[in-house]
Amino acid sequence: MVKPVARAYIGRMATRLYTHPIYLEHLTPPGHPERPDRLRAIQRVLDDEAFAPLDRVEAPEGDPQTILAVHPRDFVERIKATVPQDGLAGIDGDTVLSPKSWQAALTAIGAANAAVDDVFGGRADNVFVAARPPGHHAEKTTAMGFCLFNYAAIAARHAQGRHGAERVAIVDWDVHHGNGTQDIFWDDPSVLYCSTHQMPLYPGTGAKNETGAGNIVNAPLAPRTGSETFRDAFSSRVLPALDAFRPDLIIVSAGFDAHHRDPLAEINLVEDDFDWATGQLMEQAGRHSAGRLVSLLEGGYDLQGLAFSVAAHVGRLMKG
Amino acid sequence: MADEANADVKAMSFEQALDALEKIVDDLERGDVPLDQSIRIYERGEALKAHCDRLLKAAEDKVEKIRLSRDGKPAGTEPLDGE
Repeated sequence: MVKPVARAYIGRMATRLYTHPIYLEHLTPPGHPERPDRLRAIQRVLDDEAFAPLDRVEAPEGDPQTILAVHPRDFVERIKATVPQDGLAGIDGDTVLSPKSWQAALTAIGAANAAVDDVFGGRADNVFVAARPPGHHAEKTTAMGFCLFNYAAIAARHAQGRHGAERVAIVDWDVHHGNGTQDIFWDDPSVLYCSTHQMPLYPGTGAKNETGAGNIVNAPLAPRTGSETFRDAFSSRVLPALDAFRPDLIIVSAGFDAHHRDPLAEINLVEDDFDWATGQLMEQAGRHSAGRLVSLLEGGYDLQGLAFSVAAHVGRLMKG
Repeated sequence: MADEANADVKAMSFEQALDALEKIVDDLERGDVPLDQSIRIYERGEALKAHCDRLLKAAEDKVEKIRLSRDGKPAGTEPLDGE
């Protein structure tokens, strides 16, 4: 429970954390990088007493209706119908459903929407959602790249529909380009999508000249670059775009696979880079959106790199 | 005297201290605390705030130490059992 008066009195940020045991029950085959252990590693690091001030809340199940603001009904029903009674059902080579996947995905959406409600309702300054499956590769009508539904996009639509947000910015620092988020908002200037990602790399999209309605800002990073290139790209492309856009809410597609230990990419970030980037976004949120910032877990496949990067990110969210 | 009266504060968790502080700030702001008690309550509020500050500062210092070194070993504290 948040105590706004006391929080204001001691002058620190109230950071809420949503997670749920159902996220561990979205199963993938042995050897698959997007695995339940990712959340166990995050849970373990956030159990440290350093994170005692976090406001921990169990994620609520989402309202399936909210998905329809982003994905068409027949797509949603197709995914639901593909969920197996037992075992696993593949959508493509990467993307898999297990019996509890629908409920896990719906609870990820529930947490993202609740986080939006919290920052608009004054129950938190900012929120981190530790959920899976991730979402940023999910296009309007295609589930792919470990992603079923695009929960960042759904949360953005929720902010617009429920809270009257006029402009929502989604900043995506997952090492893979968020082709799904770009697809969904391609011709919608009410949503700004900014992405830093390795290029070339899966899914192949995210070139600088993909600009949508002027609302898409891609900042591709060459393989084997690191902190300096990332911070330059973030400072010269992402931050000015945000500043000019003046968002009412910032949503972060927070993947941590640009960490140097990550097995799926070749960008060499360290935890301090995620700390820094978080601070930059909080500054923008303070300037334009009354501090409202919602961060949603996307990728990150080295368990230690992931857990320590999340610690740096959430630590910065709490500190302000 | 006031120190002694607030000795229990030091043993409080962050959440407990925040709860107590919320109640005090609430009471003081509503203005329904008699004058002779208000100083004592104010002092308790200050003790709670100082305690929260200490806990938060300690937490922040610790968060900053949760970092990996380049070879993958935790550089500061070790909240993970080496994966």
